[in-house]
Amino acid sequence: MIVQTALLIGMVLFSVLAIFLKDLIRAAISLAVASLLLGIIFFRMGASYAGVFEISVVAGLITVLFILTIALTNTGEEVRESRLANVVFPLFFAVFVVIDALVMKGLLQKIPALPSGPETGTFGEVLWKGRTLDLVGQIAVILAGVFSVLALFRKRDKHD
Amino acid sequence: MTNTWYLYLFFSAGLVFAGLYALLSKRNLIRLFIAIEVISKGVSLLLLATGFAKGNVLVAQALVVTFIVVEVSLVATALAIIINIYRHTKSLDVRKLARLKG
Repeated sequence: MIVQTALLIGMVLFSVLAIFLKDLIRAAISLAVASLLLGIIFFRMGASYAGVFEISVVAGLITVLFILTIALTNTGEEVRESRLANVVFPLFFAVFVVIDALVMKGLLQKIPALPSGPETGTFGEVLWKGRTLDLVGQIAVILAGVFSVLALFRKRDKHD
Repeated sequence: MTNTWYLYLFFSAGLVFAGLYALLSKRNLIRLFIAIEVISKGVSLLLLATGFAKGNVLVAQALVVTFIVVEVSLVATALAIIINIYRHTKSLDVRKLARLKG
């Protein structure tokens, strides 16, 4: 429980760093570290497949995509951010944490839980037999992503 | 089990709050997208934690895997759009997108 709490605190810390660090490359790397910690949390919950996906895809692939985009759009001109937002954030966050701590427990007791029996089988069986339609949807989403990237980066015609 | 569930949901709400705050206050397009990533981390933690607390880890895991695939597709498309916006406006400032003149 203590390790888990430390991991969760580390994850929130790195996520906040990713949002507020000035250097974008450092922000992307903090986001990757946060994903890594989330992957470890998934492993500790017994969800090894989700952990593997989180670490390899989110911490690996998405970070590479972010760094690539930062490198392609880096020509010196900085976007001016408002300083007030950075200064006020700890205050807002502290207020939110207090409200969260007070309200969340009451909310959890109000959520009705659907009755469900204990799970049997392996992850593969649940994924292939129980959620087959999800897999078809995933294939459609990946194809949609590929075609949209192709459409966005197509070469311009001479007439344009 | 409720205590563990409470702990996870407490932190995932914190992540979602931090992401929403950044979405409202930041102006750099890439930073806005990092904020969306932070929110999605909170949501995937919430999904798996609820499955863990209710004894349905396998279904929750299947949902999280689906969510991650959708997220990657979203990131690829959105970053491509950001690069195209940068080529047009030579800036990553979200306020410059408000100009309608092309």
